[in-house]
Amino acid sequence: MEEDIIRVLYLDDEEPNLFSFKAAFRRDFEVHTCDEPHKAVRMLEDHEFHVVLSDQRMPRISGVEFFELIMPDHPDISRVLVTGYADTDAVVDAINKGQVYRFVSKPWNEEELRSVIKAAYALNRARVNSARQGHQVLSALDDFAAEAGRLQGMAQATGDGLAHSLASDLRQLEEGIRAERTRYGKWMEAQKGQT
Amino acid sequence: MTGTRPPYGRVWVWTVSALLLGFAFTGCSTGESPRNVDALTLEALNDPDGSLRAEEVHLRLAALDTLDGERPNLGSLSDAVWIRVSGWQGAPRQARIVLDNPTIDSIEAVVMDGPRVLMRTPSGAAFGRTEDLIPTFSLPLNEAHDLWFRIRSTKPLVLPFTLTQEQRVESLRDNRNLAVALYTGIVLAILIYNCFLAFSTGQQAYFSYVLVVLTVGLVQWGFNGYDRLIWGHVPWLARNGLTMTGAASGLAALTFAREFLEVRRYTPGWNRVINGLLMVYASAMVAAAAGFPIVAYNLVNLGALSAPAMLALSLISWRRGNSPALWFFVAWLIFLIAVTMQALRDFGVLAFTQFTALFLPVGTVLEMLLLSFALGDRINLLKRSSDAANAKALAVSLENERIVKQQNAELEERVARRTKDLATANSDLSRTLGELQGAQDQLIQTEKLASLGQMTAGIAHELNNPINYVQSNATSLRRDLEELIEIVDAHVDALAALVEGASGADDLAEAARQKARQLDLSFLKEESRQLIAGILEGADRTARIVGGLRVFGRMDGDKPVEASLSDLLEASITVLGDRARSRARIEVDLPEDVPALYCQSGKLSQVFMNIIVNAVQATEGRWSDAEERLVRVELDRALDGDGKAHSVIVRVRDNGIGMDEETQQRLFDPFFTTKEIGKGTGLGLSIVKGILDDHGADIRVESEMGEGTTFVLTFPLDIMSNPNSEAA
Repeated sequence: MEEDIIRVLYLDDEEPNLFSFKAAFRRDFEVHTCDEPHKAVRMLEDHEFHVVLSDQRMPRISGVEFFELIMPDHPDISRVLVTGYADTDAVVDAINKGQVYRFVSKPWNEEELRSVIKAAYALNRARVNSARQGHQVLSALDDFAAEAGRLQGMAQATGDGLAHSLASDLRQLEEGIRAERTRYGKWMEAQKGQT
Repeated sequence: MTGTRPPYGRVWVWTVSALLLGFAFTGCSTGESPRNVDALTLEALNDPDGSLRAEEVHLRLAALDTLDGERPNLGSLSDAVWIRVSGWQGAPRQARIVLDNPTIDSIEAVVMDGPRVLMRTPSGAAFGRTEDLIPTFSLPLNEAHDLWFRIRSTKPLVLPFTLTQEQRVESLRDNRNLAVALYTGIVLAILIYNCFLAFSTGQQAYFSYVLVVLTVGLVQWGFNGYDRLIWGHVPWLARNGLTMTGAASGLAALTFAREFLEVRRYTPGWNRVINGLLMVYASAMVAAAAGFPIVAYNLVNLGALSAPAMLALSLISWRRGNSPALWFFVAWLIFLIAVTMQALRDFGVLAFTQFTALFLPVGTVLEMLLLSFALGDRINLLKRSSDAANAKALAVSLENERIVKQQNAELEERVARRTKDLATANSDLSRTLGELQGAQDQLIQTEKLASLGQMTAGIAHELNNPINYVQSNATSLRRDLEELIEIVDAHVDALAALVEGASGADDLAEAARQKARQLDLSFLKEESRQLIAGILEGADRTARIVGGLRVFGRMDGDKPVEASLSDLLEASITVLGDRARSRARIEVDLPEDVPALYCQSGKLSQVFMNIIVNAVQATEGRWSDAEERLVRVELDRALDGDGKAHSVIVRVRDNGIGMDEETQQRLFDPFFTTKEIGKGTGLGLSIVKGILDDHGADIRVESEMGEGTTFVLTFPLDIMSNPNSEAA
């Protein structure tokens, strides 16, 4: 997995910046650039990206607003905000809300930005893995609950006293598993997109 | 009690006392009644309808009743009674037969010889003659003759017939006259004095009292037959006078009692009793008027129940705190005793003497006196309570005066304190005002710094973008260059080997080609070119921004410099950068032919930035899409008649929310803001106004709610174009 190509999308309204970015990082990552937010949204739908970077100050929409827009559909993508001048309040707010993984100021330091992108990629991987594992846990819990339900039905069918008490134990077990599953599902939801 | 009376009161008391003593003395000294020579025998013959003639009397001898006792009482008779008196035979010639009953209506002595009437002698009080008040008759000359009396009386008929000497009758009459005169004197004294008091005090109770005295006096006259002297010639009055005066005295006494005892206040329940008794007396008067004298008289007697009633009432009233009621009680007690004695005498329990005869008149006099004292006491009490009330009122008014004085003093003190407070407040106010001005200055300074900060932020951002790609491109370009050099080096090596004809030259050439392919030479060439173009563009943009900055001159510089407003506006928009351009479409119309003017360029750029940012914010309030937001900055000139420009006009138009009338009017007031608390100081436009005033420039606002706003700034050239006139 570490050997995978890192796919990066950079959104900025100023053409020269896009070119500079591509020239700087084309040797390290698979770089895609875009100067229109709605185009960027379409590109995110078409390809799987690991990291998305955006300029903060753009006409019509700010970088933070753009991140807010894409978060529900792409919770796992790591988001990095790039800006020419510290719009401190907005940026701090965005970071606190978990919309932004890192904040990088222009002019950027190439080495620093590179390592930020790599770290953002690692976060993306970890998030995807944990989501996958979470889903595995969920399905295991589902299976377990289903099995308990099945056994319970069998015990019920047997009809003797011992089987009946076994069935009630199983029912309790099933309910417990389902409650646990619900709780875990909710926790997973809450974790979604959090940096 | 007497101490508070006026001096003549004492004289009166002595006068009455002296008269009373005299009265009592008269009674005592001549206190024996005309002594009976012998016991007379009385036989009565009723004549109910009064139709019996003297000639017929002897036919009815069988119906004669012998009367027992010295003072036989026949009760009330409807009409007449015949009395045959015997037992006088053998008496001395000068002896007289006397009937000492002044209340009978008439009496007639008839001397008869069998059925023959020898002599008739009418007498009685009804004649209105003094000598008839004690009817006195001579004895018949012939002792064999019968002596009859025909008597009419509506009052209870008591028949104290006596056989007595003529001189004794005279002295009895004289004594009677004297006693009545004294009694009358006393009553008159009381009457006059109290009349005087009644008028001088104006007290209702005194008038009632005067009526009581008058009627009681008349009743006493009546008992002695003296009233007949006044109205004896009027038959109806002769018969009913005593009844009427009795009833009147009852009415007067009850009225007086009601007023004196303040029945409504102390004993309201008794008012009904008094009303009942008044009704009894009134009925008596009506009965008398209607020709039922006996009924009337008995009603008056029934009214005597008022005596015990008054006794009880006064006692109760006294117990309830009406202190003068005690006098009243004693007065009525004495009166009741007197009446009782009289009754006992009339019914023969007590001896009928001149002394016992004194009971009633003395009792009434004492009653009157005590009532008079009671009145005095009551008046004194009233006076005392009124004095107390006056004293209280005086105390209250003194207290009020004191309070008013105190309040005045307090008021003065308060005024003084308030004045002092006001002075303090005033000085506080001036100090606060000073502080406020200081604070305002500081705020204005802060606002300036904020503008500076905003400007710095804008410039920084504007500069950071080109610097970013200049720097980044340079780095990339170095890397590309290294790769290019690598390729070039490979080719140089291969070329050298080829030229020298060295072995392996072909391999080197292949390696060089390989390198160029591997590093994508054509891409590198293109990229390098573009990177250099980017660097050039960045450098150019940086230079432009810095060039714009220069137009501002010194931000705080007060020295006017010649500046083109076109350049200033452009620089302002550039410096605002993203704060304007990325939030709204900014259109500019800045013609070149607008003349430059002398101005404080830094301050003017502050003005322009402020107005443009406001315009952008106004559009943001109306449109959510930045494409819809429009701010238009126009520069223009106004020409005079000669086609020469006399002023420069800057218009900043927006299609934002617009302003209402009130906002437009208060727009330039310091601290007025429509922004949320903490978002704006409200100083921006007031500073703008100040700066424009310094430039002799005018600012106007045209706005409509929901349509947009236009700020129009007019800079007169004649003033601003000549710095020397400013410098003066």
